[in-house]
Amino acid sequence: MPIVKLGDEGRWTNYHGTGTCEAATRFALRSGDAERGRDEIAIAAKSVQDWLGQAEAAKRRVRPLGAGWSPSNVNICSQSWLLHTRRFNRCFRIGANEVRPGVDASALMLVEAGALVDEVSDKFEEQGRSLWTSGAGNGQTFAGAAATGTHGSMIACGGIQDHIRAVQIVTPAGIHWIEPAAGVMSDAFIAAMGSVPLRDDELFAAAQLPVGSLGIVTALVVDSVPKFLVRPIQNLRKVDCAALDWLAAGEFRRFSAAYALDQDPDFVQMIVNPYKPFKRPAMLRFLYREPWRDDYPRATPGQLGAGYDALSLLGRLLNDYPWARGPLLQFAMKQGYASGPDVDAPAVYGSWGEGLDTHRPLADLFNASVTIDRADLARAFERICAVYAKHGGSTVVTVRFMERAQGLLAPARFTHNAVIDFDGPRSQRTADAYAHVVECLDAEGIGFTRHWAKSCHLDAVRVAADYGEDFRRWRTARDRLLPDPAHRALFGSEVLDNLGLTR
Amino acid sequence: MMWLGWALAALGFVLLLGQYAAGQADIFLSIANPRPLDEESMVVTLKGWGFAAQAAQPFVTPESDHGLCDVRVFATRRQMLVTIATFGFLRPVTVAWRAHAGILPLGDV
Repeated sequence: MPIVKLGDEGRWTNYHGTGTCEAATRFALRSGDAERGRDEIAIAAKSVQDWLGQAEAAKRRVRPLGAGWSPSNVNICSQSWLLHTRRFNRCFRIGANEVRPGVDASALMLVEAGALVDEVSDKFEEQGRSLWTSGAGNGQTFAGAAATGTHGSMIACGGIQDHIRAVQIVTPAGIHWIEPAAGVMSDAFIAAMGSVPLRDDELFAAAQLPVGSLGIVTALVVDSVPKFLVRPIQNLRKVDCAALDWLAAGEFRRFSAAYALDQDPDFVQMIVNPYKPFKRPAMLRFLYREPWRDDYPRATPGQLGAGYDALSLLGRLLNDYPWARGPLLQFAMKQGYASGPDVDAPAVYGSWGEGLDTHRPLADLFNASVTIDRADLARAFERICAVYAKHGGSTVVTVRFMERAQGLLAPARFTHNAVIDFDGPRSQRTADAYAHVVECLDAEGIGFTRHWAKSCHLDAVRVAADYGEDFRRWRTARDRLLPDPAHRALFGSEVLDNLGLTR
Repeated sequence: MMWLGWALAALGFVLLLGQYAAGQADIFLSIANPRPLDEESMVVTLKGWGFAAQAAQPFVTPESDHGLCDVRVFATRRQMLVTIATFGFLRPVTVAWRAHAGILPLGDV
């Protein structure tokens, strides 16, 4: 059986140290060495189904754990059975015989639920393929990042869950293979995976972003594009307030020409100090996509601008010395973020995967976000920074851009989105300042959503209001997949119950 | 000569304060491309100014068959206070590590 028990009941703490499961019994789902991926996943899925039955009999709730990355505590459930999937991390090529007619198998890969975004990226690159977007970090499992709607960062793309073409979900009642109504994989392949096909657009849209509430995801079919290079430009520039209007209007070329290269950028990120955001230099990062070539000069992740952990080390100082927050944050931005390459520096290149980093938090992390309609950026951003700074927020504020993402519960639900992140050292003052930002946006009538995986303090009423009809559709799909309330409760937790996802 | 005594006392205090702060520094060693599992940790106490070291538990972790991703060595505030109060005779430090999940070759379905 590929599930092994890891020690006795005890405490488990998530990756960023924001939540702890007490009296949790830990299990690990591990990859086997079957020659064919379908055989291995079929065995694993059956084991998971049996394990769910045992958990039910033991009257314990269950929680799948990937990298345990989410600071929002959607992965926290005390007195539960935890299923670690990190060692269930193999990836498999898909042959043309395994897909339905008209589907390009060469773009697809079968991924076990414990594979990290980094691993998926590497395995695609081995095949001359690439993910087309992802978040800033790559240390989440792909399944976990998709399950929480990790926002992407390429201007013309949606979220990481947009890569998913099919998903295998195990519940006590069955092993389900969920894909769009048009179908992706052949019936024979789905049967060989030990699954029953559910070809349904509504179920698929719910399963693309399940927030860990629809069952245990064991495998995914992930789509890709041909491998490409990106050229990063990263610099510190004072940004003119008027430039927000360009960004709000989608005039990224104009913004890029003013602060980096006179080319269409594929990625734009602006990290500002909320204390005088337009008087102090902002850290700007641009990526310009180019066709792949093998002979590009290799650069280290640091040279490509990955990583920004030094920021978190200043947490206590920022919390304790409010008068120094502005200069300290500016110092942290200079020290903590990789410097360059600027416009005048020799160009460096990397694949999409090479520009990402698995950061290791050495201090307590706070992170939260709001996703707004990009058109509201100009009127919202200064207000957000002012309120956040006034109430002592001690993190930088980051803006990135993306298109509407797939999945009924995708936070990026506007046609064009500006994602505003508050990432940095944790303190109660910062959490309170973020709460004031939320109040301010509500008071100003600016629509926004919040990230499922971040410390955004959502509740069921708010989720229902934010997602409206899509939330009702998601719950309808959930009830079709998990008609037995006892099974819905099995995947619940205090956090998920409060979000209205499992109750 | 009174001022010299005070100066030496101040110097000693600053030295202790420096040791207290520096002892809590996080020494962090990682491989280039980590694929980590959960963090495990244990406390190792050096005794007799390093003549003897006793781990509170054997240095094993249930999932370490693919090696380790990273190791951290640091002392907590309490551990540094123990060190200072015992004139360094006891030197507890925390060793934390994360095992590697393993990198498996691309397979076929």
